[in-house]
Order: sequence, then structure tokens, then C-alpha cells
Amino acid sequence: MKALVSAIVHIDMDAFYASVEQRDNAQLRGKPVIVGGHPTRGVVLAASYEVRQFGVRSAMPMAQAKKLAPRAIVVPPRMHAYAEASDAVFRLFETVTPLVEPLSLDEAFLDVTASQELFGAPADIARQLRERIRRETGLPASAGIAEVKYVAKVASDLAKPDGQREVPAGTAKAFLAPLPVSRLWGVGPKLEATLQGYGLKLIGDLAAHDEEWLRARLGDTGTHLWQLSQGIDARKVNPDREAKSIGAQETFDADVHGEEALHPHLHAQALRVGRRLRSAKWVAKTVQLTLKYADFTSLTRRCTLKHGTDDGQTLYREACRLLDSVALEKPVRLTGVSAQNLAPLGTQLGLFEKAPEEKTRKLNQALDAIAQRFGSKSIRPADVDGG
Amino acid sequence: MEFRIAADELKKALHRAQGIVERKATMPILQNVLVTATKQGVSVTAFDLDIGIVSDHPAEVMKPGAVTLSAKYVFDIVSNLPEAQVTIKKLPNNYAEITSGSANYKIVGMAPEEFPKLPKEETGQLVKTVGGTLLEMVKKTSFAISTDETRYILNGVFFEPREDGKVRMVATDGHRLALVERQLDGDFKLKGGVIIPRKGLLELKRLLDEAPEAECSLGFAENSALFKKPGLSMVMRLIDGQFPEYQRVIPKDGEKQITLVRARFLEGLKRISLLSAEKSNAVKVSLADNQLRVTANNPDLGEAKDDIDVKYTGAALTVGFNARYLIDVLSVMDTDEVVLEMGDEHSPGVIHAPNDRSYTAVVMPMRV
Repeated sequence: MKALVSAIVHIDMDAFYASVEQRDNAQLRGKPVIVGGHPTRGVVLAASYEVRQFGVRSAMPMAQAKKLAPRAIVVPPRMHAYAEASDAVFRLFETVTPLVEPLSLDEAFLDVTASQELFGAPADIARQLRERIRRETGLPASAGIAEVKYVAKVASDLAKPDGQREVPAGTAKAFLAPLPVSRLWGVGPKLEATLQGYGLKLIGDLAAHDEEWLRARLGDTGTHLWQLSQGIDARKVNPDREAKSIGAQETFDADVHGEEALHPHLHAQALRVGRRLRSAKWVAKTVQLTLKYADFTSLTRRCTLKHGTDDGQTLYREACRLLDSVALEKPVRLTGVSAQNLAPLGTQLGLFEKAPEEKTRKLNQALDAIAQRFGSKSIRPADVDGG
Repeated sequence: MEFRIAADELKKALHRAQGIVERKATMPILQNVLVTATKQGVSVTAFDLDIGIVSDHPAEVMKPGAVTLSAKYVFDIVSNLPEAQVTIKKLPNNYAEITSGSANYKIVGMAPEEFPKLPKEETGQLVKTVGGTLLEMVKKTSFAISTDETRYILNGVFFEPREDGKVRMVATDGHRLALVERQLDGDFKLKGGVIIPRKGLLELKRLLDEAPEAECSLGFAENSALFKKPGLSMVMRLIDGQFPEYQRVIPKDGEKQITLVRARFLEGLKRISLLSAEKSNAVKVSLADNQLRVTANNPDLGEAKDDIDVKYTGAALTVGFNARYLIDVLSVMDTDEVVLEMGDEHSPGVIHAPNDRSYTAVVMPMRV
């Protein structure tokens, strides 16, 4: 048998929040839907494909969106519904391969290299998976298939909406060549301008130089970009079970102002991390909060717990404490909660203290069981779901 | 300063210093040893501000004086010399010249005046003791000391004189506890007990291991401990604080007591824990009709079990333990048989020798 070529599938849900709203409310289907942010702030959190044709985009002020699409239907966000849909989708991923690396609520990498024996060619696996997602959750998803993570992600972007694109082995360089350099991971507006200064507009322009040329100008970043331009990406798919950390993060479609407004996001993220810890049977001793400001500067704060935990509420409390220690100066575009310093479940009891988390453990067991049976919408903390 | 010394003597002194000098010291001079030559010979001092040792060695001193030398580099140099004798001479600007046969080194040192002073010895309360007993006590407890720096009080062994010349040493990391009580005649003049820090205790263990039967003495001053044996003295700062009420957590006679062949139980735990989930070392110990079963279960690897015949007729019981904690205890015991006492799945397991609780270990279960 010939050695299997590495096969990575990147799956990305289409207009995720808006699609969930359209699924749950028949009135919204086929209509231009805007998931709106904070009522007083009025920016677009997500836009359905029907409304995108009018030029409505995420993060756009609501006033402007309404002007572009006066008949668009605006609905408030329901974070909890999105988290639940996400869980259902991830459960399907795991039927195909244990090597699933979640990137956010609506995106993941799947390493299906070894799954080909059982389920067929990578493109067939992706197609079947998208069909099952559609059938079982009623949501559209797009997929990119390639030998490496980076190329798979670019391919899924180009396949949207509701499509898939395969970049066969050996063709990645040609596939990337006509794309703008901003498609390279790590290239923001500033670096893009620098690259354009060197006359590099397309990924192919960059790939035509040799590595040393780029390295001499951009150092390690040059090497990194050059490798991507060749379709080289050595990073493996990191599933939770082998992960050093388990995290959830979210780039907001619109920047968020102030601590209070961040809390529901942290809560949803922390609960999600807790669920993932419990399903991977890990406990975490370190909690890390990541913040990225609107100007792309970022900071992390972490703390170590006395006892390992897999409880989302505990993670949320710690994340809030960490947030308290930060003097927020600027609007925030991303938050992340991550659990680190992982150890297998199996709590060591202490000599000098009563097991404090016994009640919590039972509560989480009950919550997980309810969620499994009736869906996680059936029971939830009050702040997470706005709707 | 200039002296001539047997390379082996100098190597022994520097070997003793290795555990104490700080690799990443905030004060660079603490990576050095202070070498002092007097008419009596040469003494080598290592100090990390908490623990200090002074090691005395015979030498032919041509000119008294002092230098400081890198503990690590000079140890490596002395281990690789061509001849059995070595000459050390102080040069200007704190350089030292090391010569042995054809080999010659000029080493950068630091001014001996900058080397911090050790706490003053107060020799009044020294108690003579046999190193072997002290060594046994250290070995039987030191593994249970907490390495968690946030639990500062538990980063050492509680040293507690009792009646009739007996002394207790107790160590715990909050999950397990080891207690040993032995005869160490003499009055330590301590009210209550003191906490000897882990690092000092491990150094003490090393020094005792050199010659366990040699006579040595141990004493305590205000907030430090002093240990002496011929040619060597050691001082260390004690941990300041209140050791937890350990007696409270040692169960009285457990309901379920079984006697086991120590080596058999130890082997069983070692081979089954090979399959414990990584880092957790979790195993289950089950009791049923005349049988003790050790099992492990690993979602990635599979499962394992080992059955040991025992005398037991009570109710069936399964308790999870960190196998490492049980193995640590069984490894330092020396009786052929041991008694394991258990309560229920949330109660501690207790291990001691049959009819002898002078060494008692308590291990809290794991919820598995």
C-alpha cells in the first residue's frame, strides 16, 4: 500500500450567527438578516449572504447597513444558540477523525490522513461531512481540502458560501500564486504595505524570490511568509486530547467597549472550554485570558489555581478576575479564555481540606447530561443568552 | 595565599558545595565557594543565604589567605587534573592560579570580602547523635515534603522532640503524610518543633550518606539549625511558621486492615501503574473476598490488573490512589510485611509495619 498523502480539511460554517437565526426562524429564511450588536451601539455582528449583496458587512455601523439594505431584518444575538449549534457540528467532526483542532465556535481543522481507508478520498469525506452538517443541524458549511493547514484554510475561504475546494497534492504553489499577499497568515495592513513597497502584490510575486532574499529584508517573518507562499506549513493538527492547552476565543465582528460588555463573551468562552475539558477528561491548573485591542496590540494575563478544574464557572470567575487586573484603555476586538497546565482528570483529595468541588462536579455532570439529552439551550446561565 | 592539597580532598569539598551553590544566583558571588587557607589547613565554604557548609581539609599552606572560586568550573577542573596534588595560588585582581603537573589555569575570582557571612554558630545546644538514625528518619519522610512553593510551611520536615529522648519527623504535601519517631537521646531545648527546609534536609542526607555510622551532632538556635561532623559544619535557616496539626489527619485504627508482603504489593503497584494516565499515576485498589486487586485504566492504552492474595472477609471496597504515593512509602520501608488500613473511598489509606506505628504513612485517595 502506498503511503498516504497528508490530508487536512478546514471546515468553516457560513455566516454562522445569521445562519443559525435563519434556521431557527422560518420567517428569516431567504431574507436579508443582520445579527445586530448592542442595541445602543448599533453595529453589525453578522450578515446573512442575502444581505451581503447590498454591501452590508460585519462591523459596519447599523445606520449605514440600514441605508444600504433598508429592508434587512435585524435580530439580537443569541450566543447560547450558537454555542449549542457549534457543539453539534463538532460532534459530527469527531465521527470522522479524532484529530480535530477547534479554531473557534464555527471553524476547525480535521486531519483526515488516516481516515481515507475508512471513509474514502478527502474531498468525499468533506462532502459527506457538509451534507451531514446540513441534514443534522440545518446549517451550511464550506470546506477546504489540502495537504497542509494554511492552504486548506485559504481554500475554504474561496469556496464560500456552501461550497468546497480541493487543492490536490503538489498544486498548492500554483493555487496560491494569483492571490493577494494579504491572504498570507500574519500579513496585516502594515506588513502588506511593506510588501507592496518591495513590489510584492501577489503571493506568486513573493514565491518567485528565494528564501534568502525575503529573509534579508524581513528576518524570520520573511522565512515564514516564503514558506507559506510555497504551500509549506509544518504545523500539525492539534486535537484537545493531546493539546497543551484548550482555549476558546472570538474575534468580535464589532469592537467591544468596557469590561461589562466583555463578560458575556468570556462567560460563553469559559463554559465552552469547561465542556471541552470535561469531554477530553482533563483538568486545568492555569487559566489564561487573552485580549486583543482594536489597534491589534494584545496582552495576556494568567493565573494558577490551587486545584485543577474542568468547571466553566470557575474558569469564568478567574477570567473575570484577570480582566479586573487589566486597565482597559481601548476597545477590544478579541477575547480568549484558555485552560493550560493540563492534567488528566482524577482529582487528588487533600488531607487538610474537604473536597470543595464535589457539589460543582455533580452539577456539571447533571448539566452535561441535560445538554446531551435535550440540547444545551434547555439549561443555561442567565447572562450568556441575550435572546 | 598559596597552598598545596590532594586533588581528591579538594574535589570532596567542592562536591559537597555543588548542591548548595546557586546556578542562577541573583548574587553572582553565590556561584562561588570561599576558599580560606590557615595554618590549620584549608576550609571551603558554600552558602546560598539559607544554607551554608564549611568543609575543612588538610593542606600544606605556604601562605595563608582567601580567594573565591567558581564552584562548578573548579570542580570540573579538579576532576580532570593530571596529578594527585594541586597547588592554588592567589594572583593580583582576585585571579587564582591552579597548577597540577603540566596543567595550569588562571581563573577569574571575586574578592573574598564580598562573600556573605554565614550566620554565627551557637554551639550551646548541640546534641550528639548517630548519623544512621538521623539518615533513616530523613529518608523515611523527605519524599513527602511539598515542592509547591505556595505552601511554604510544607516545604520542609517538622522536627519535633517528644518525651523520653524520642524525636518525631513529619512531612506532608497536603495529599500524603509520613511520620517517623525514633530515639535521638539528648535535649534539643526546643519548645514544640521546628521546620527544617527541604533543600537543607537533602544536603544533610547527602552528608550523612558519606559515612552513616560516624558520630555527628545536631542543634538548634534562634531560627537556624546547626549540624556538625568531623571536618564539616552546616548551618541552615529554618522555615518560620506553624506546621499544620498533623495528628488530626492520622486516622486511628482503620476498620479494614490487611497485611501484605511489602515487596509483592510494591511490584504490583509498579507494574500496574505503567498503564495509568500520564502524570496522574492513578490506580484503583480493590478489596474483596481474600483478594486485593490493583487496576489501572487508560483511555489511550487499555487496562491492567494484578491480584494479590490477602486475608480479608469484609465488604467489597474500591479506592483510587496515586500509585506514586504508595510506591514512595513502600520503597523506604524495611519490614517484610506491611499493614494497609482503609476506610471508604474518600478516607485516607494508612500504611505501617505490623504492630508498629513508629513509622506511619497516610495517603489520601484520588477520585477516579
